[in-house]
Amino acid sequence: MAVGEPLCGANRYIKGHTLGEGTYGVVFKAIDKVTNRTLAIKKIRLGKYKEGVNVTALREIKLLKELHDPHIIELVDVYPHKRNLHLVFEYMESDLEAVIRDRNIFLSPADCKAYMQMTLKGLAVCHKKWILHRDLKPNNLLLGSNGQLKLADFGLARIFGSPNRRFTHQVFARWYRAPELLFGSKNYGPSVDVWAAACIFAELILRRPFLQGSSDIDQLGKIFAAFGTPREAQWPDMVCLPDYVEYQYSPPQSFRSLFPQASEDCIDLLQRMFTYDPKHRITAQQALEHRYFRTEPAPTPCYMLRRPSKPEAQPKPIELLSPAGHIVLSPPTKTRRIQLFCGDIKTAGEANRDLYAKQLPELGTPIDAITIPMSIDPKTNLRPTLNSTDRSYFKRKLDMDIFLTPARR
Amino acid sequence: MAANFWASSHCKKLLDQDEVSKVAQADLERGFTPEDVKLMKIQFSSYIKSIGSNAKVRQRVVATAIAYFRRIYTRKSFSEFDPRLVAPTCLYLASKAEESTVQAKLLVFYTKKVRPTFTSLFPSTDDKAYRYDIKDILEMEMRLLEALDYYLVIYHPYRPLVQLLQDGNNTDMTAFTWSLVNDTYRTDLILMYPPFMIALACIYIASVLKEKDTRAWFEELRVDMNVIKNIAMEILDFYDNYRQIPEERIAAAVSKLLTRM
Repeated sequence: MAVGEPLCGANRYIKGHTLGEGTYGVVFKAIDKVTNRTLAIKKIRLGKYKEGVNVTALREIKLLKELHDPHIIELVDVYPHKRNLHLVFEYMESDLEAVIRDRNIFLSPADCKAYMQMTLKGLAVCHKKWILHRDLKPNNLLLGSNGQLKLADFGLARIFGSPNRRFTHQVFARWYRAPELLFGSKNYGPSVDVWAAACIFAELILRRPFLQGSSDIDQLGKIFAAFGTPREAQWPDMVCLPDYVEYQYSPPQSFRSLFPQASEDCIDLLQRMFTYDPKHRITAQQALEHRYFRTEPAPTPCYMLRRPSKPEAQPKPIELLSPAGHIVLSPPTKTRRIQLFCGDIKTAGEANRDLYAKQLPELGTPIDAITIPMSIDPKTNLRPTLNSTDRSYFKRKLDMDIFLTPARR
Repeated sequence: MAANFWASSHCKKLLDQDEVSKVAQADLERGFTPEDVKLMKIQFSSYIKSIGSNAKVRQRVVATAIAYFRRIYTRKSFSEFDPRLVAPTCLYLASKAEESTVQAKLLVFYTKKVRPTFTSLFPSTDDKAYRYDIKDILEMEMRLLEALDYYLVIYHPYRPLVQLLQDGNNTDMTAFTWSLVNDTYRTDLILMYPPFMIALACIYIASVLKEKDTRAWFEELRVDMNVIKNIAMEILDFYDNYRQIPEERIAAAVSKLLTRM
């Protein structure tokens, strides 16, 4: 590239190691050569080259191009490279799930208030621009280096407000799904995001997911067990919803008993956010104006919020934005994943270690392939590295396995 | 799609007349006059509409596709981006952006189907435009995204039109004004003015033609009537001069596209 020519596209970024694998692509850490800024690049796999640019990715591009706010992840750049689309985001250190799960962090009421305020601010901006996020959950709320919380992953987001447009109700992770969605509502509004925010609010206070249903029916059961089965007067439109089924009546528990350590204002806001009737549920903007945010204790300034212990602290640097936050089973890079493992997987690192060490010097001589199972042997069911969603990758590995075995014999 | 127009990229990216009617350097070298370019854009807008209505996509998708098409050629040249491939690809991209995806193979099928009614665009059968396939559309999709700088949200006059007609108690003019709005997509107005202004101009034309007195209502709106008049003039100019474009003139313009440089 000629001197002075502006760097653009793939040339502008130095690709680092893999940060994680999303539903439709791999995320890399990267550095912008021009600004020296650390970034995260999401590489979008093109479908089987039949339907072009992934609709989910397109949605994310379309909406993030319109949304610019300190509480929403910044889409810095988009560029095509080798037929793949690359989305360049600002780099975020961790996410709210890591904070909630990190037992070393004590979350004071002021900290919860800060996280909640930032979440609702981001949400209010989306709703003001008539955008539904539809996938709010702690690990989509990313945390920047200064503790700033930002909404991310707009792959399920949509513009709403067209009358008579029907949406799918299969959105959100189940635990964060509002009751109207679980009853199959197809014309819902921003209130679904508020319910999810309420679930996150409860999770911040309780330090565990609040309503952990194992199926859609069970999820509704869990909701009703906590807040009581809604009565007709509470939610008149409920019986008209497509998948409405009558539940056995269960009495509501008091919010005080559900959240014993929460303040009065906090409980009042939770109650308004967990309102059954979506028409009466508080909006994100109203929630921000609630007295909870105006009374003591004041929300902690974001730069003072504790960071979750970084996975970088481990001997081998693995920065994975995995859903679990810090439990990383797979090795960080592909080259390590496909290397052959000389030894019995089940006993590796235990008693067999000595034997393995003894074998090592003989590596050059032919080894009986039968006694040495390869790590990519599909028969050994001990491969936590394999991502079940990534079938093509799996298949590629299997192909290689078939290719390698006869050659070794 | 409702949404906040004033905060949108569409609003920030509105262009003026000069930017819209500029002819790309590469096209000038091929001998394209501004008039040629205008004719081509009108003809290709009809082409997109025709493919769209055959594929039974929503009107919104067609409108968005035409807006993409026109926006792309304010930045790129016909020589670099073959409009005969760009047109169906715009429709494909618009169908995705407007959440009602049409399969690429269906679009290819319908482009072939409507081709006989647009013979002037496809002068020779051994031209590569005759063989554009799914693969070409998908490849072009990526280039179009880049050419659009990934801005995909477009606002249209239809929704404000309905609201404004209701507000002024003029719902009896809905059908007429609606078709006027449809015809504004034969012009570059969508790239130049806020959609509600276009809607107002259409109401203005309709009320003059149907002899309805809307003066008081317009006065109450306190909009800049000069802008409305400019838009209205542009629409009337289209009806006066471009409603029927002789085939030869289109063919002449397309032939410039095919000349080897």
